[in-house]
Amino acid sequence: MSHEKVDAVIVGSGASGSLLAAKLALAGKRVLVLEAGPERTMGDLYSSQLWARRLKWSGPRIESVGKHPINVVFGHGWGTGGSALHHYACWFRLHPEDFQMQSKFGEGLDWPISYETLRPFYDRIQKEVGVSGDAGQEVWRPPGEPYPMPPLDTFAQAHLIARGFKKLGLRTAPLPMAINSVPYNGRPPCAYEGWCDAGCPLLALANPLAVYLTQARDAHAEVAHHAYVTRVLTNEKGDRATAVEYFDAQGKRQVQEASLIILASSALQNPRILLNSATSRQTSGLANSSGAVGKYMMTHIAGNAFGLFTEPTENYRGVTGGQLVCQENYAKDSRKGYLGSSQWLIANALKPNDLLGIGNARPDLFGDALHKFLATASQHLATMTFVGENQPKAQNRLVLSSRKDSFGFPLAHITHEFSADDLMCFETGMRQGETIMKAAGAYEAWSNGPVSMHDLGGTVMGSNAPTSVVNSYGQTHDVSNLFVAGPGIFPTSGAVNPTFTIHAVTLRAADYIQEHWSSLS
Amino acid sequence: MSSAEDLGNSGITRRQLLGQMGAGLMTLTVSTTWGEITPAEAHAKAVPFNKLTALEGASLEALGNVLLPGAGEAGIAHYVDDQLGRQDSLLFLKYMEYPAPQLDFYRAGLGSLIALSQARHGSPFASATGEQRVALVKEISQKNPEGWNGPPAPLFYFVVRNDAVDVYYGTEEGFKRLQIPYMPHLPPPTPW
Repeated sequence: MSHEKVDAVIVGSGASGSLLAAKLALAGKRVLVLEAGPERTMGDLYSSQLWARRLKWSGPRIESVGKHPINVVFGHGWGTGGSALHHYACWFRLHPEDFQMQSKFGEGLDWPISYETLRPFYDRIQKEVGVSGDAGQEVWRPPGEPYPMPPLDTFAQAHLIARGFKKLGLRTAPLPMAINSVPYNGRPPCAYEGWCDAGCPLLALANPLAVYLTQARDAHAEVAHHAYVTRVLTNEKGDRATAVEYFDAQGKRQVQEASLIILASSALQNPRILLNSATSRQTSGLANSSGAVGKYMMTHIAGNAFGLFTEPTENYRGVTGGQLVCQENYAKDSRKGYLGSSQWLIANALKPNDLLGIGNARPDLFGDALHKFLATASQHLATMTFVGENQPKAQNRLVLSSRKDSFGFPLAHITHEFSADDLMCFETGMRQGETIMKAAGAYEAWSNGPVSMHDLGGTVMGSNAPTSVVNSYGQTHDVSNLFVAGPGIFPTSGAVNPTFTIHAVTLRAADYIQEHWSSLS
Repeated sequence: MSSAEDLGNSGITRRQLLGQMGAGLMTLTVSTTWGEITPAEAHAKAVPFNKLTALEGASLEALGNVLLPGAGEAGIAHYVDDQLGRQDSLLFLKYMEYPAPQLDFYRAGLGSLIALSQARHGSPFASATGEQRVALVKEISQKNPEGWNGPPAPLFYFVVRNDAVDVYYGTEEGFKRLQIPYMPHLPPPTPW
């Protein structure tokens, strides 16, 4: 790899990094992506819940503490494509009220942009990438173009659970997925074999290798692996980023100069790098005149409802993210007794083993009872996943640990606690989940959780420096040629999986960077 | 089910392509530390452990058999022992974010279980009666027994229980035991 100065260096090859690399490289910029983990190809995506564990975070330990610590390894990626390589491709739009939490409800934060600002970018992305679904059936869906593909197929598990929703007067719709239901843009349709967590080598699921990273490489962007970025370097005044410091596969320190620097690693690593980039002038970290770097770390509060049915559920068919969705309880309504949104992802494809496997649906069972349960549940279990909102709180925060990794880079130390609203939203949802399963005809119903799902915040966007780190394009308030991308810049979590919004926000940033290149670089 | 097996105009089906990828990868088989044999075969041949002591290995097999009868014969101890020797371990423990090396987790957990059994019944866990083993497992699944000096006992129970499910049901052979199709997009080069 050459060490000549490049136009743009992008830290991380996940959802946002890949998209930015593609757009900037296609615009003729010389782009270098620095990926901390190893190279992954489609040929590495083995259909096995054991082998899938290689794709999950294997970098330095992240100290996750607090009353409700965020689970970091399972949801994070390690290597090409980052966590998007093994994401489940449930692609939702945030709702308009998610952008106005403070002004409408007096809680949390406002985005500096509205849903209407982001809407055209959602529309463009779903066309570029390919999303399957039925917008008409999603009665709660914010306005936007219909999906470019029809919904994915559904199987017995979905049909059974939908019965319960219907009996209770709740509507369901096909789950919108960035997975092909029909051939799209040269990529084949899904095979419904339920291996999404292990990465999809079919190209049916829109992971970075299937779409943007391939586009980036075709446009001559370079991707360097085992390139572990530890600091952003600046000019003496501290108002221009000049380079990044990283350690290569041999553990040797390198400095890569660039006109534009984009941190697109993860919501946990981006603030870690900024805090570690402190200088004698920026003693609290780079781009941190607000003191907001590391604050407002969020996740989603999640759990599963389960039901055992006499009928076969075919739970081995479909996709991991689910087959149907219900967002009847998304509206933020004070009459609910809590502030927050939620949704159900219905009928997840299941495997016997692993964290989300059938065996862990009843972790209390062991011995012959566990064999018996697995034999029954592998044929008759149905499940659905609750996703609830996590209110942004300044005290849910990432700081640098006193412990360091092998490169002398302080570990990330994250403290997190769900709010009373979050917990009430979750408990209400779990009770509803069991009721739905029983209404669907389950002879036994139960639920678990809460657990955390997705990581957001820590470098939130806002209109001005006192309360935020970046503007709505991800440009840091303090350093004009330093950007942050990904869910870390979201000021609120909503209750939907973030990857579609990551793409929409990042596409808007890519447009902005191209339009303002001369002043930024 | 909708299906578009053809990949463009290449004349090759997706199944054929993936089959070829899988066949190619089979040549990249990762050797286990005990050679090209399964954990069950390693157990049957009483292959010596590399990371665990003989007592730890016997205890892990006995614990595996309480958690999921047959897991011991399926080679849970050899599976864990082999993975502990790899740089890129596939053990479930990875997800638990335990703040110490994986070997330390098993060593401390098994050591505590052995000591607990010794204190309660005058014999190591692997030599305790079936009823005694079940009672001990019930206890560690709930809370740290008095004098427990390992990782949180319920976490140790949860992790080893997952190891047992992994080794017994987590491969193509395990799926067959449950009479469900494996349906790989891309078969792994080895089961583990």
